[in-house]
Amino acid sequence: MIRAENVSYGYTGLARTVEDLSFHIKAGEFAAILGENGAGKTTTVKLIDGLLLPTSGKMFVNGLDTAKTRVSERAKQVGFLFQNPDRQICRNTVRDEIAFSLRAVWGKKEGERIEERTEEMLSLFGFTGDEEPFSLSRGLRQQAALMSVLAVKPSVLILDEPTTGLDYRECTRIMEFIRELNEKEGTTVVMVCHDMEVVLDYAKRALVMAGGRLLADGDVHDIFRDAALMEKASLLPPQIVRVASALGGEFAEADDAETLASLAAAAHERRKRA
Amino acid sequence: MTELFQYVPGSSPLHRMNPITKIGLTLCVCVAAFLTDNLFYLLGLLLFDLMIGVVGGCAKKAFSVLKGLVKVSVFLFILQALFVRRGTKLFWIITDEGLLTAAGVVLRLIVVCLPLTLVLSVTQVSDISGAMVQILRIPYAYAFTFAAAIRFIPQFMEEMSGIMEAQTARGVEFDTKNVFKKLGMILPLCAPLLVTSVRKSGATATAAEIRGFELRKADSGYKKYGFGAVDLAALLIAAALIAGAVLIP
Repeated sequence: MIRAENVSYGYTGLARTVEDLSFHIKAGEFAAILGENGAGKTTTVKLIDGLLLPTSGKMFVNGLDTAKTRVSERAKQVGFLFQNPDRQICRNTVRDEIAFSLRAVWGKKEGERIEERTEEMLSLFGFTGDEEPFSLSRGLRQQAALMSVLAVKPSVLILDEPTTGLDYRECTRIMEFIRELNEKEGTTVVMVCHDMEVVLDYAKRALVMAGGRLLADGDVHDIFRDAALMEKASLLPPQIVRVASALGGEFAEADDAETLASLAAAAHERRKRA
Repeated sequence: MTELFQYVPGSSPLHRMNPITKIGLTLCVCVAAFLTDNLFYLLGLLLFDLMIGVVGGCAKKAFSVLKGLVKVSVFLFILQALFVRRGTKLFWIITDEGLLTAAGVVLRLIVVCLPLTLVLSVTQVSDISGAMVQILRIPYAYAFTFAAAIRFIPQFMEEMSGIMEAQTARGVEFDTKNVFKKLGMILPLCAPLLVTSVRKSGATATAAEIRGFELRKADSGYKKYGFGAVDLAALLIAAALIAGAVLIP
């Protein structure tokens, strides 16, 4: 689905931001790219989307070389939700905003199909369509941007810090929708996120980057339990993982509050019986 | 492109010069360019501009700006050459006077624009506004507005490139060769740019107010902007440039 082969990229006049990156993300996976600021996460997702082209190496999405694929062709397959929805929104109503995306990818001739899909997206997210995007709250603007990205039914969805500036309710609404999309529709999700709690809750795989290089790639739980790796990548694991690690023994494997609570209850019960 | 308006740190005589002297010298170059009709004098002024770039340690930037201005000038040159019909006809509708006027307009544009960019390369915007308040006694609110306007240019350009990138990700192809189609694609992007700019301006105004913007007076700045030998030399050169423009036919 997404294959990076020794990809390197450097912005003009600067040192390489991404160096010799190789990975393979299969269809239907939910992967998170982690790392401190300047690690090369956003550059990597832009390389996947073809917004940046590798200075060396190759990037393939659905078997197509991003360097040889047209913008509109790429947009059919890859949806990109930016951290700042205001950069994506450019129309006066939410309805026009969704239709704009569809027109850019499907072409203006598909009027009826575009209208149908727009209404479908509006009812899915509970919008009337007449809302003015710039007068909506940040969370709703992010939802409007997400709607226009998902309207074209991309097989790969890239999220660049999608929860930044959102409150818990807005964040959960967006992330639950993405989870459903990933589990039911099989959409491949690649997410850049600084919120480790969100990563633990939703992602299944984590790619850890530092200084433009891939430090580790594996199951998100294993990655978070690797204290040395976390330290090297300047990341702080989610609190529940830290609590479980601090408790040690049978608790060390717990990575959600429910498991930890049931393990604690079982231990308490054993102690009582003894 | 955003680097065009950015300060290049250094310790050249131009960096050490009083910001007001630099503005004065720039204005004198502009005035001289408009006073003269002599193409050779305009060429001389252009060389002087480039020399300023070399002395200020930003020669690379000066030539890069020159390259950009030449591109714009080609369009302007063609328009002028086509529409000025005075003089002897050389070929088709092109006249000798048309070509000379076009060359004059283009050279004047380059000579005027170049030093304005170079001043910003060798002077911090805060120093320009500080000196305007301290020496010229311009009210701080106006100096701040001027400084904020300059400071926002690279930010707007960065924002616009971010917006275009976001639209490219949605499948909008900006690399079309059709100018009208391209214009049609870029125009809708003015809405997000405007909204972001207004939001940023609002945030800047609030930040300035909570830091005591209203209390600021001419003597509030800690930096003192004195005049030295280098300023005197620059003012003499400025006067010579204007005199040359008036006296050389």
